[in-house]
Amino acid sequence: MRFDRIFQKKPGSKTRNKTGNKTGGFGYAVLMLLCAMCTALSGCGGSQEEEISMGRYADREVKLPGAGYEYMHPCADGGYYLFGNGVDLTHVAADGTVSREKWDWEKNANIHVKFSYGVSDDGAVIFGYTPMFYSDEEYEAYAAEGDNRYLYYYVSEDGDRQPLNLYGADYKKATNLERFAFAPDGRVYAASGSCVYRINVESGETESLFATGEQVREFAFVGDTMLAVDKEKAYLYDMAGEKPLSDNTVLNEFVASHQNGRIALAVGEQTAEEIQEGGSEVLYLACRTGLYRYVWGGSVIEQIADGQMTALGDSQYNPYALQILPDGEFRVYFSGNYMAELYYDKTLPMKPSKELAVYSLRENGRVRYAGRLFQKEHPDVLVRYETGMDGDNAVSREDALKNLNTRILAGEVPDVIILDDMDMEQYADKGVLRELDALLAPYEEEGVLYQNIVEGMRMTEEEKIYGVPMTVELPLYYGEKKYVGDMKGLDELAAGAEFARAEHPEGPLIDTPYQSNLFDLMIPLCLPAWTKEDGSPDTESLTAFYQAAQRLWELDSAGMSEEQRRKWQQDVADLSNIMFVQYEDIYNIGETWIALGYMKNAWYGMTNLHTRMENYRNGYSTYKTLEDEVVYGRLTGQAGNVYRARTIVGLCEQAKEPELGETFMELLLSDTMMQKWWLEGHFDGGLPIRKDSLVSLLDFNNRAFAEVKGWTKQEIDVVYKEMFWPTEEERQWLFDRMEESDCYYRKGTFLEETVREVGVRVLDGELTPEEGAKEVERKTAIAMEE
Amino acid sequence: MFLLPGLSGVMIFYLFPFFEVVRRSFFQSGNGAFVGVDNYRAVFANGAFVLAVRNTLLYMAAGVPLLMGISLFLSLLLRNLLQRRRLVSAMLLPMAVPAAVMVLTMQILIDRQGVINGVLTHVSEKITALPAFSAIDYLNTEWALVVVICSFLWKNTGYMVILWLAGLAALPKEVEEAAQVDGANRWQSWHYIIRPGLSGSFFTIGMLSVLQIFKSYREVWMVAGSYPQERIYFLQHLLQNWYLKLEFDRMAALTVTLSLVLLAVCLLLQKKLG
Repeated sequence: MRFDRIFQKKPGSKTRNKTGNKTGGFGYAVLMLLCAMCTALSGCGGSQEEEISMGRYADREVKLPGAGYEYMHPCADGGYYLFGNGVDLTHVAADGTVSREKWDWEKNANIHVKFSYGVSDDGAVIFGYTPMFYSDEEYEAYAAEGDNRYLYYYVSEDGDRQPLNLYGADYKKATNLERFAFAPDGRVYAASGSCVYRINVESGETESLFATGEQVREFAFVGDTMLAVDKEKAYLYDMAGEKPLSDNTVLNEFVASHQNGRIALAVGEQTAEEIQEGGSEVLYLACRTGLYRYVWGGSVIEQIADGQMTALGDSQYNPYALQILPDGEFRVYFSGNYMAELYYDKTLPMKPSKELAVYSLRENGRVRYAGRLFQKEHPDVLVRYETGMDGDNAVSREDALKNLNTRILAGEVPDVIILDDMDMEQYADKGVLRELDALLAPYEEEGVLYQNIVEGMRMTEEEKIYGVPMTVELPLYYGEKKYVGDMKGLDELAAGAEFARAEHPEGPLIDTPYQSNLFDLMIPLCLPAWTKEDGSPDTESLTAFYQAAQRLWELDSAGMSEEQRRKWQQDVADLSNIMFVQYEDIYNIGETWIALGYMKNAWYGMTNLHTRMENYRNGYSTYKTLEDEVVYGRLTGQAGNVYRARTIVGLCEQAKEPELGETFMELLLSDTMMQKWWLEGHFDGGLPIRKDSLVSLLDFNNRAFAEVKGWTKQEIDVVYKEMFWPTEEERQWLFDRMEESDCYYRKGTFLEETVREVGVRVLDGELTPEEGAKEVERKTAIAMEE
Repeated sequence: MFLLPGLSGVMIFYLFPFFEVVRRSFFQSGNGAFVGVDNYRAVFANGAFVLAVRNTLLYMAAGVPLLMGISLFLSLLLRNLLQRRRLVSAMLLPMAVPAAVMVLTMQILIDRQGVINGVLTHVSEKITALPAFSAIDYLNTEWALVVVICSFLWKNTGYMVILWLAGLAALPKEVEEAAQVDGANRWQSWHYIIRPGLSGSFFTIGMLSVLQIFKSYREVWMVAGSYPQERIYFLQHLLQNWYLKLEFDRMAALTVTLSLVLLAVCLLLQKKLG
């Protein structure tokens, strides 16, 4: 429509002139205003077809010479050192030559776990560690000067080594130094949570230089100036004049506004052509939002690579170290022992023309990984992966869902949505999700996926599929044959527990230190059986469930006092902290006579399957010795052949890029994605629902991975365990179980939450099983009414 | 023209969004189809809505008069007290307590293993003449509404006392003194002088008390969750849960209905008390 027609004066309309009569003046003013706005919004003077600017930084993964590294030191010659606990100091030269330094002396050096590291360009190393104790006296002597404190070692470039006994007027032995750095002049600096020190590695004398607000994580040396960066601020120190320098507001503002994750630093020189304001040195800063360049002494920090379009933006990783390479390239070492090189690619569009929005409630490594693969295959697409509850904020599940719903209400719908821990049916019912039957038809025709699992996902009155999982977990029992026998339902489980308790009156029976652990294991087996056709809870089934749970809990508790259980819980919590694992869904034997759990992967074999390598109560159990006595099977509970779905992929009805969403879903369901993720060492959860992928993953021929490392609790020692790969019969057993899985356990429903909440009261004896079931019915009645 | 900035703010941030809510209340949230008053019908036919309305009204009927009565009584007691400033400041403390702390305190007090049950058990054990006491799970029984009303009173009484005191301070002392000289007793002073003089305050404090009832939902939610004992399931629970369930259409209809009811209450109070 033309503007002149919009403002065309209608016949008979009133106008006034300057003398008071109505005129078109106001209309013309509005017209001019609109014209100005249109011009401004359309981009003044722009051509119809916008020219696409080309060139941007992209990244390529660098294969590291091994696993287990935690630290990288970039060398000025383009090479770098890698180091970490339990691995050799490894040097990778600029030409890629790898050399490892074996420290045989370390075995006798009483080193338990190494924690903080510093390496110099010529290979000198300083590190902190916690020692091992062989007697209470040894421990007491150590703890007298501070429990949990680190001791330190210094290894010179020639391999000479010495324990570093740090001392100094302002240095307390209980202070742990978390970060070390070698300055170009050879002097060593270190940082505790509140101070930066200079260390004389010959004498151990430690001199306090300046206080910091937080733990300094990064050091950089620019001429005579030392730059130390903590979470909130950049500190400058004049190494020649030996005094702190005044604040650099540009750097401070940058640090303060990039508190999410680490900032890796590197110092380079400007070329003659680049000389700008300030000095000739350039500080490069790598963080999750991108790679930045700061001409030392200047007033601006400019972004040279966008985090979202490189590995820097991956919230799974934190940049730990940055190295400047020739030709404007950069090497970044990330947490999780991942390394990437950033390079400038002139052929890529500066800004991707399309965007694929992917959402999940919690961080999902597979999706993140798939996003990176997808972006590499589609350089014109920016994959924006968002999580509702990422680790850096304290958003609850409910708040995250509210945020998502608000955005859906406003029309900001993601293209792909990962439905784990979300009430999928609700979103399907409200028309947010797109039905996938047509998209999944080719998979069905070709028989690629376990169709029984896909069919299990049908929901709503229309019986359509709105989400398809990448992987599933199967519920299993595991234990000595005489106790677990042919255990299937809840009654057999309780009977087996009774028999085991009769033979073993003391100690835990099932691996459930907390009541919640028992519900974690049992609810998925039974939840699908609790809902009647009208959607109301089936109190009979619920009563039977509570009876079984109560019986198991009582049998388990009969072997220990309240005090012992509390101690057990504390042990689990302590060990969880050390091992960084959650004690849910675990298989364990030893003092535990019946293990319940979920088969989360095929990597660890079959008859010897276990997801934890250590037995935290009895030291390390050798599964081999138990091999003949141990049996396992599928636990059916009340609901039948239940499976737990992981990474449930859904597409949104109102997606802005529906085709891209479909392509992304295809990638997630591809054999490449399902196998690659596993083979790259990510063992978290689920058997792939692609038949060919599962077959490949269970083919263990030529797999080098044949031992597992773990720790015993009592002796705090590293032990190794031999693995046993599954036999053909065992493989077939698993395929058969996959074929029969047809009952989808919907996690995160209100019914489940209520059953858990009331269940704790039942196990506490506050309610009987019947009362518990009635309480669930009463509580869910309101939700049903809603 | 001087009204324009304020008016445009009200238009942009209140009226336009409200009109949008009114519009949405006539459409289905999933496919955007026009459904007339079906959303309103669905709301009124909803069992949870009926329960929530009943509970909210009960809470209001008990909470508002109690709050107004207790705070007025306290303010009359404090009126002539010389040291009242410190006392009043102390009474304001609950307003300053963060909701999380308040919830924690409530849990310490009313939990099954909490202070109140502990004291009552101890007393019943010591005094054998009393019947044996078994611990009550206050938030999961009929007591839940009593607990909520008590916490509402604890939190808001101090603030209301201040408002009453402000109203009382505005009354001309001379009239009361003249009445006392003429032989009026306390009841007559209250009935013929103070009460009529406070009619404006009655309206303001009444309205604020009603609004505080709605605002107290946060504490209830924090202490008892989205699906509490049915006695303390209020309209905000329903709204919140519908929001999570993407029932935007019904939510819009309920919001419009609630707004109209509140407007009517406001006008009624103004007519009666204003």
